[in-house]
Amino acid sequence: MHQKKRKSVMNQYVADPVALEIQWQRLISIMDEVDNATVRTSFSTIVGESRDFACILVDQDGSSLCQSSFSPPNFCVVLPRTAKALLAKFPLHTLQEGDVLCTNDPWIGTGHLPDYVVLTPVFVGGAPIAFIGTVAHLADVGGHRGDIEAYDVFTEGIRVPPAKLYRAGRENELLFEIIGNNCRVPDMVLGDLRAIVGTHQIGVRRLQEFLTDYNMDDIAELSYEIHTRSERLMRERIEALPDGVYEFGLDIDGYIEIVHLHAKIEVRGSDIYVDYSGTSPQTRLGAINCVYNTTYASTLYPFKCALVPGIPNNEGLFRPVHVTAPEGCILNCTDPYPVQARAKTTNNINQALFGAVWPILGEHAQAGSGSIWPFSVSGELEGYGAFSVHILPHGGRGAMRNMDGLPPIAFPHNSSVTSTEIMETEAPILMLHKEFLPDTAGAGRSRGGIGQVITFRNIGDESIAARVRPDKMFCEPPGIDGGQPGKVGEVRFNGELITRFPSLEFKPGDEIEMRMPGGAGFGPVSERPLESVRRDIEMGYITLAHAASEYGFVVESDELP
Amino acid sequence: MSTQRYRFGFDIGGTFTDFVLVDVVSGEIRSYKTLTTPRQPARAVLEGWHQLLGEANAAGSEVVSAIHGTTLITNALIERKGAVTILLTTRGFSDVLDTQREMRYDIYDLHAPPVTHLVPRPLRFEIDERLDGLGNELEPLDVTSLEQLSETLEKAGVTDRIEAIAVCFLHAYANPAHEQATCDWLKARFPQAAISASSAVAPEIREYERMSTTVCNAYVQPLTERYLARLYRELTQAGLEKDLYLMLSSGGITALKTAGEYPVRMIESGPAAGVLAAVFYGEMLGESNLVSFDMGGTTAKMCVIEDGRPAMADNFEVARVHRFKRGSGLPVRVPTIELIEIGAGGGSIAYVDELGLLKVGPESSGADPGPACYGQGGDQPTVTDADLLLGYLNPHYFLGGRITLDRDAAARAVERHVAEPLGVSITQAAAGIYQVVNENMISATRVHVAERGVDPRGLKLIAFGGAGPVHAYPIARALKMQGYICPPGAGVTSALGFLTAPVAFDFVRTFIAQIKPATLAEMDEIYAELEAQGRSTLLKAGIPAQEIEFTRSADLRHMGQGHEISVVLPYARLADVDLDEELRPFFYAHYADIYGYAHRHLGVEVTACRLRASGPVPHIRLSNPDMSDDAVAPDLSAARALKETRAVYFDELNDFVETPVYDRHRLTVGMRIAGPAVVEEQNSTAVIGPSATAVVDKTANLVVILDYSE
Repeated sequence: MHQKKRKSVMNQYVADPVALEIQWQRLISIMDEVDNATVRTSFSTIVGESRDFACILVDQDGSSLCQSSFSPPNFCVVLPRTAKALLAKFPLHTLQEGDVLCTNDPWIGTGHLPDYVVLTPVFVGGAPIAFIGTVAHLADVGGHRGDIEAYDVFTEGIRVPPAKLYRAGRENELLFEIIGNNCRVPDMVLGDLRAIVGTHQIGVRRLQEFLTDYNMDDIAELSYEIHTRSERLMRERIEALPDGVYEFGLDIDGYIEIVHLHAKIEVRGSDIYVDYSGTSPQTRLGAINCVYNTTYASTLYPFKCALVPGIPNNEGLFRPVHVTAPEGCILNCTDPYPVQARAKTTNNINQALFGAVWPILGEHAQAGSGSIWPFSVSGELEGYGAFSVHILPHGGRGAMRNMDGLPPIAFPHNSSVTSTEIMETEAPILMLHKEFLPDTAGAGRSRGGIGQVITFRNIGDESIAARVRPDKMFCEPPGIDGGQPGKVGEVRFNGELITRFPSLEFKPGDEIEMRMPGGAGFGPVSERPLESVRRDIEMGYITLAHAASEYGFVVESDELP
Repeated sequence: MSTQRYRFGFDIGGTFTDFVLVDVVSGEIRSYKTLTTPRQPARAVLEGWHQLLGEANAAGSEVVSAIHGTTLITNALIERKGAVTILLTTRGFSDVLDTQREMRYDIYDLHAPPVTHLVPRPLRFEIDERLDGLGNELEPLDVTSLEQLSETLEKAGVTDRIEAIAVCFLHAYANPAHEQATCDWLKARFPQAAISASSAVAPEIREYERMSTTVCNAYVQPLTERYLARLYRELTQAGLEKDLYLMLSSGGITALKTAGEYPVRMIESGPAAGVLAAVFYGEMLGESNLVSFDMGGTTAKMCVIEDGRPAMADNFEVARVHRFKRGSGLPVRVPTIELIEIGAGGGSIAYVDELGLLKVGPESSGADPGPACYGQGGDQPTVTDADLLLGYLNPHYFLGGRITLDRDAAARAVERHVAEPLGVSITQAAAGIYQVVNENMISATRVHVAERGVDPRGLKLIAFGGAGPVHAYPIARALKMQGYICPPGAGVTSALGFLTAPVAFDFVRTFIAQIKPATLAEMDEIYAELEAQGRSTLLKAGIPAQEIEFTRSADLRHMGQGHEISVVLPYARLADVDLDEELRPFFYAHYADIYGYAHRHLGVEVTACRLRASGPVPHIRLSNPDMSDDAVAPDLSAARALKETRAVYFDELNDFVETPVYDRHRLTVGMRIAGPAVVEEQNSTAVIGPSATAVVDKTANLVVILDYSE
């Protein structure tokens, strides 16, 4: 049934599109199995609870073929770029079965040190024909205990250049020791690394079985066909957009100093060119600099969502989108600028893009969102051991033309919030509340998503280290088409507003309150139906005062719910 | 003649109510199917009761037990037709019902609608109280905040309308005292309301999942209690003298009262019964390693059975926004037979997507208009249409001839929506639909089997549901299974599971600790408490104390790890077990079975103690009314049962071949059928591929063995 492959454009899949569908779906299911195993074998809350990892299959050229269903979007775009860099250092013909490659170099990988890229070749007939790849945020990489305040990348932790984590099936003991000796929770970090390598063995076996079942020697033709068809569709969708140049500039929080992002987007034929000239220069005030990889990935995401949301992600979709950013700007920083907290910048890229192209995207554009507000505590205490616990809560999401913004939910990345009970079990902290913040959502025909507040208290007997990374404390999530911005957030330490976020000494009895922003609105406020405003009041999303000031909605007192 | 010789089981599904009556003395089995009567489900039940008892010429007093499963609860959750429910939480945490895990179930669809829970925000109330992770009291329960709640409701004039109350406080899994005190207070103040406490419904760590489970339970409790009481009353009036038992998602059955308190445990009762039926058929055949495969009109459900035990999960999702998207439903943390459900059924619609690829499902044509070949106005090609065009189905003998299938309509639909867009022939298109839907099921099964650490080559597929036996061959073959089994009467199979389930109830306690010798003694104490609960629950269900069995399991992980595996503990007293010599190696071995390796340098941590209390497994023995023992044919060739031959398509032959078609009702024990062949019976069709041979066993199962020698 399945013919031997031919090296031509008229490959078997053109004649047999059913085989393409079947084989592609099976590859995705292989990556889902690897993903599942990662959750179930991991050690850290950042992997196991927050799902801050992705599993991706790349072909022998390092191009991505498919990813697991829940993988965060940015990782999927970056990993193939990292894979190509790893292969430049360790060319295909030098690899042995049982080798595992890795790096956490920000400029080669995802843009900050905690994200390790692990890549395992799949050998068939004595040669590597594909790679199982994982990007995972590990719990600790050493360095200073803070997050955002850093002069350069050297203070942010240990950097592992492209290296072999395993050689022919044997652990690179020296590398394991180096990684272990340079972090605070070695059991957790090395446990996660070993777990990832274990899940790759599952992926390798499955891919080998796959090839045997279809009597294939490699996946070159399959890869070609997936990429070609995906690119073709992406180009069709771009071609349907009106040609033109669309520009938008946006101030974002930055750190200490406000940062400006500027996006100029040219739609020309079946290509999109995005240029970030006019964006602020890289900075040493805070670790908010983005390497090009991250900028590139964050730029692709809104276009993927708007144009081809249903197509399984793969590199063919990326090809028609071209991204440039001047070297030395905050969206293309140079080594060794500090990068740890780069999400503070990347989370805003979608706002610059949607701000520019919303008029041609119709219902697919989204107003500004409240961002992710990572919080973590770490220390070593009797009864808890060495601990490092993360929670990744969010502000409200931006509204779309025909949909109110959602209450706190991951965007633009994807992750899961750690359970309060798990947080409180693993560290001596108490969460006093995790609840909505009324009146934070931007008004509009479609309302933004409501923000939330979380307060943590140290209920132990000793000081521990706390890290907080707020966003949109100064620059609001912007509205679209007359929609109002979401309300900015704030952080209070024992009641005092704070705006600097080194590692905080979190003493017994101290409280940290994170008031997260609401999402922005979409469309003129005057067009919001009154019954929607009334329902928002009933649900407690907005107060009467807010309804009156923002929507001009006044109710008689006897009408109150 | 025994006075109590019948077991009566019935399953109220969305469309049909299925009945089965087994004579435990003779092994004779009768079944009946009628349309569900959604407004008064009991009406259909009584119809089936009278029908089957009449057929057997039996009196109600001769029924030793009646066992029931229903989709009523699931439907109430999906359609949001449950009770007016309020939720009480720890102060500051009622919005957790909305914020959930803050995770998107679809990362690229920005329009994916949110998962909205069952209790709207104005009906959630926050109570002053607080425990820490060990269950220590940080802040006592403040009764004034309960009084405020009561005043608020009184002022709003809604006190009497509150039908159900869910209570979920932080860390109540570790210490139920605040929840219990609150429930006591509520019972006095809201005597009409059904009350669910998280510490009773799902005492496990992780507040959103526990809260969600508790809310679901409260939401369906009033209607379940009303419904069960009425059903029992009517059955009693119709002559039932014994108890009515309820099927649980876990595969156990329980007494009426317990089921009424924990309706959330019955959500998957129907599918669970299907798996038990598969276990039962497996036992008859001496096969204990199976994958049950139930393919109906809209979905296919698979479950791995190892050593006669179905795979179990401790959570699932109900009422999904997107039926087949993980994360888009309401999480429910209760023990459940682990079924993988995918959108692949006879009615699944085939289409060509924007990349020019052939897709099948999850959208389904449903019963109306149904597949194009039903001739009821459906013009979308479905799996059934492909099955017909490939020759698997007999157009004149579908559902026993009740529907004549329209081959031309099927061909037109496949041509227009699949063949033309793909630029292939109608046959290639139909074969493509068959392959794609099969591959969807193969992938799902492969992952499910692999996650249990099981090698599919040691398994057989057991196929039921209307479409199961039509698709079993390529699935079993792709997974390199030994073969597949098609029990007779695919429609009855599932209901039979009700009659083979033991009385059983599961209990759990979250207990997080590094395992040290002292911990083992603590675990013994926890198990002893759980056993006391189990004993009391089973005594209420009429199981004598000496017949109650306990199975202990524990959720274990490496020290510091985020997730755990559930392991059945073969130890009666853990304090006697040597930690380093026995328990640790025992855990590492289990872990390595699933994941290929274990971190042997790390200690072992327990996160939960689980206990199943169960009564004896009822033994029923089937004789087949269609096939009396003395009818063993002297002529074992199947020629006597040959109906016709017709052209049937087989992927591995890449063409149609003239294939013999047998009448299953005329097959006799010991007959052997070489593939390719088709075996037709009233409600299903079994396809035997070219590399397979089927044998009819003594209870009329078709046992198909695959040949991989070529």
